Amino acid sequence: MEEKKDEKKYTTISIPTQLAEKIKKRIQGTGFTSLSSYVTYVLREVISGADTETSEEFSKEDEDRVKARLRSLGYLD
Amino acid sequence: MKLRDDTNYIVSGLERSGTSMMMQVLAAGGIPIAYTETRKPDEHNPKGYYELEGGKIINTLMQGTFPFETYKGRFIKITAYGLTYLPAGTYKIIYMERNLEEVLDSMEKMAQVTDEGREDTKQSFKKLNEKVKKELRTKDNVDILFMNYNDVLKDPRTNVQKIGEFIGPYHFDTTKMIAVVDSQLYRQRR
Repeated sequence: MEEKKDEKKYTTISIPTQLAEKIKKRIQGTGFTSLSSYVTYVLREVISGADTETSEEFSKEDEDRVKARLRSLGYLD
Repeated sequence: MKLRDDTNYIVSGLERSGTSMMMQVLAAGGIPIAYTETRKPDEHNPKGYYELEGGKIINTLMQGTFPFETYKGRFIKITAYGLTYLPAGTYKIIYMERNLEEVLDSMEKMAQVTDEGREDTKQSFKKLNEKVKKELRTKDNVDILFMNYNDVLKDPRTNVQKIGEFIGPYHFDTTKMIAVVDSQLYRQRR
């Protein structure tokens, strides 16, 4: 049986009501349309930042090296 | 068997990390895949490359002209660097990983070169791999199954089961899928 086409994958996370109220006030007049969208944005930023701290950046030099190797293997013109 | 027609299914990973083998496994199970035979099987991939556009799909991804809509509901192969150009969409991705030294050995053999700057190359591919994995994890509507080439060879049954759980409740010919995992392909073992 297939899943419903429009089914989204979300889960519920509990935060203190007081904090939720503060966030609601904070996002008034911003582009965030809901408490969930703001919290999702903040968490993504935190996770992305944590990953950046633990891994070295893929530099232009790295990219040129990868592309050169891919050309030699026939994966890229 | 039909997969979801609103989803792009991708097999990815660094080149020489078992992406072709995974495409073969899927095909054997009766799972829809798409490829062209522009690049013929050779000593490096005796069972074929299972690629689109002669393996140069990255070119069209970089140009933003790859027709993702056409390939919904079928697995296609896009190697790791190509995923850095992945447009927004709904994806299910099987991402292959393999011992990096084996990947580099295989690349050198295929390109028929000895890489004088091998350590630099290794670091660059390692960083690419991490970058792609990180980006995929933070994207909406992207489901990823990480598979290890070495593990698949070691325990095909368990890994084929993981594929089944990931793709969904469809009927697969798991016996044929397991049979594809040909240990003779593991020529780069260190």
